[in-house]
Amino acid sequence: MIWINQILQGILLGGYYALIAAGLSFLFGVMRVINLAHGSLAVLAAFLLLVIDHWLGISPFVGLLLMLPAMALVGVVFQLGVLERSLRGGVLIPLLATFGVSLLLDNILFALFGANTRSFASHIGTLSYGSWAINRSIDISQLDALIFATALGLLGGMHLLLTRSQLGRMIRATAIDADAAALSGIDPRRVRVAAAAMAMMMVGIAGAALGMRSSFEPYAGGAQLIYAFEAVVIGGTGSLWGTLIGGIVLGIAQNVGATINPHLSQISGHVVFLLVLVLRMRGAGGLLGDLRRKIRRQPMAPT
Amino acid sequence: MTKSNDQSRSGGSSRRQVLATGLGAAGMGAASTLLPTRRAWAGAEKKLKIGFISPRTGPLAGFGEADPFVLDLARKSLAKGLTIGGDTYEVVFLDRDTQSDPTRASQLAKDLINGAKIDMMLTTSTPEVVNPVADACEAAGMPCLSTIEPWESWYFGRGAKPGQPCPFKWSYHFCFGVEQFAQTYLSSWNGDVKTNRKVAALAPNDADGNAVRQHLFPILRKAGFDVIDPGGYEDGATDFSAQIAHFKREKCEILTTFPIPPDFTRFWRQAAQQGLTRQMKIVEVAKTGLFPSQIEVLGPLGYRIAAAAYWHPVFPYASPVSGLTSAQLATAYEHQSGHQWQQQLGASMSLIDAGIAALKASGMPTNKVALAASMGKLKTTTTVGVVDFTTGPVPHVATTILIGAQWIKSKPGSKYKLDYNTIENIEDRKVPVQAKLLPYRMA
Repeated sequence: MIWINQILQGILLGGYYALIAAGLSFLFGVMRVINLAHGSLAVLAAFLLLVIDHWLGISPFVGLLLMLPAMALVGVVFQLGVLERSLRGGVLIPLLATFGVSLLLDNILFALFGANTRSFASHIGTLSYGSWAINRSIDISQLDALIFATALGLLGGMHLLLTRSQLGRMIRATAIDADAAALSGIDPRRVRVAAAAMAMMMVGIAGAALGMRSSFEPYAGGAQLIYAFEAVVIGGTGSLWGTLIGGIVLGIAQNVGATINPHLSQISGHVVFLLVLVLRMRGAGGLLGDLRRKIRRQPMAPT
Repeated sequence: MTKSNDQSRSGGSSRRQVLATGLGAAGMGAASTLLPTRRAWAGAEKKLKIGFISPRTGPLAGFGEADPFVLDLARKSLAKGLTIGGDTYEVVFLDRDTQSDPTRASQLAKDLINGAKIDMMLTTSTPEVVNPVADACEAAGMPCLSTIEPWESWYFGRGAKPGQPCPFKWSYHFCFGVEQFAQTYLSSWNGDVKTNRKVAALAPNDADGNAVRQHLFPILRKAGFDVIDPGGYEDGATDFSAQIAHFKREKCEILTTFPIPPDFTRFWRQAAQQGLTRQMKIVEVAKTGLFPSQIEVLGPLGYRIAAAAYWHPVFPYASPVSGLTSAQLATAYEHQSGHQWQQQLGASMSLIDAGIAALKASGMPTNKVALAASMGKLKTTTTVGVVDFTTGPVPHVATTILIGAQWIKSKPGSKYKLDYNTIENIEDRKVPVQAKLLPYRMA
């Protein structure tokens, strides 16, 4: 029974990782940018939500309606001010530029808000610790279930948007070949701005999930980046459904490891991450290859 | 003059400069009024430079939050200089922020020793700050006094071996240790709240976690408590379902834990989700839950968590340097900062108290050998109570007290969300007990 519980909790944890990773995965898929400021931007979103909550005294869920457009605006500025310029400089420059942005953001947030640890737990009432008891040893956290559902909805929604909508087709075209897309009458610059705005809204949701599920402070971004990164890599870079699978694999690996011995929790996550990386580099066939091919068939993977 | 040098050296990071400018301005005012008069009669300039290294930013920033206030207070109190052996010295504090980075802590210490040519080093708050600074001082022959790191981590964590002679010459440390934790915990747990004496022990796989696993848990077991330790987890863990299931299965009613603050937030919420909090009667945290903000983030789950205090405004001790009693110190801080008092306030003040006492006792404060010798013989009363290096458990160490305390929801009309009441005083009967330990329950 304990194993069933651990795997179930691992799947729920995976939903959280996928939600944290969604924006990173999307930005990489569309613009080939590894956004090292991802974690810091999520923390920025959490602080935005905190400010909105503080000023207007509304619940964080209502606050999202204000925070997400603000994050979209951040995305536009981020794209025009940092990504667009640095992308012209090759592969390394965006990496360095986003790293710089993350340092800058961390320290600005520290200067504005100080070092105190924050959380939305006290703003969402019993949701932060409420649960449904399945039986004596299995409880499903209401918040984790909500986060998992949000991850499913967000990744599914983005998938539909990319495959079915005009904007999605434009984004995919720009991702595969910006010059060819431009020849067909698409303005790649505007498409990228739209994509960055969407990515930052996903980061905004990640920030809200972070603030509700655990706590944040100005320097909390780095830790978030690591898990997001691992989820993206395990699931196959650039694939949205892959990111969900990656998050779940990471979550289950950590929880199964922790049940054997608490020492093994993070190690087992990292080991799975490294294994996937090595197998992928060797172009392994078999089960993983199949899974990989399936993931690669997703529209966002332009390889 | 000194101040401007100080600031140019601390350049680089904007947030530190903001702090340094604020402090510098205060110090400069004091120095400029002082300089002409002192020069007039002293002839030669006599100056004592004191390095003060603490974490002001980064994950450990909670510890350093009150340090600018404390240093400001010390600068104002010592503005007229310090008279030792008939000579009056101008006292200059060179404060540095480690940004919670041990490597940076070591570098800052070396800069202060070799560049600023300080006469004494003071440092505080966690092994990540104190150990590298103390090591740098030991290597350079610089008298160093430190606090707020369990003394076992300081002594054994820096290479000393049990039963062997003390390898240190220049560094001295005063703080509580495992024995103080054990005393206050046993006093709290054997009180009015009845439990089945089964203790859920959650300690990470880090310096502090392994120290309590090795030294504290055996003492608790010997005292008749069944300590359930599922093993060390890595700091930064996102999920604690495995440990929670283990504690539920064992029907533990007491929790003792030594996590970094964000880990505890996650653990405790998951514990509530998975029904562990319902069976808990005493929740005793350390390393987190020291400051109000760390408990406030838990919302209703934070009420009635107990955390031993190394300082509290009810302490009957005053700061010899500032002349403020513990209660006055807390009030002054709340008044000036607008934040609720926090216990590092008293500890940082006591570090300066003890440092100045050592300088005075040395008779020759600029003589490093004399200063180190006076630290080794130091016996003085500071804001946190008696600091006595002559009766320490090992050479170069003095122990200070821990008092059991519990966070409760503040009374209606209070400025702050939480009150932090002392609940026992086995280690120092002079500290008033404000309330009885209340059994944990989700509000």
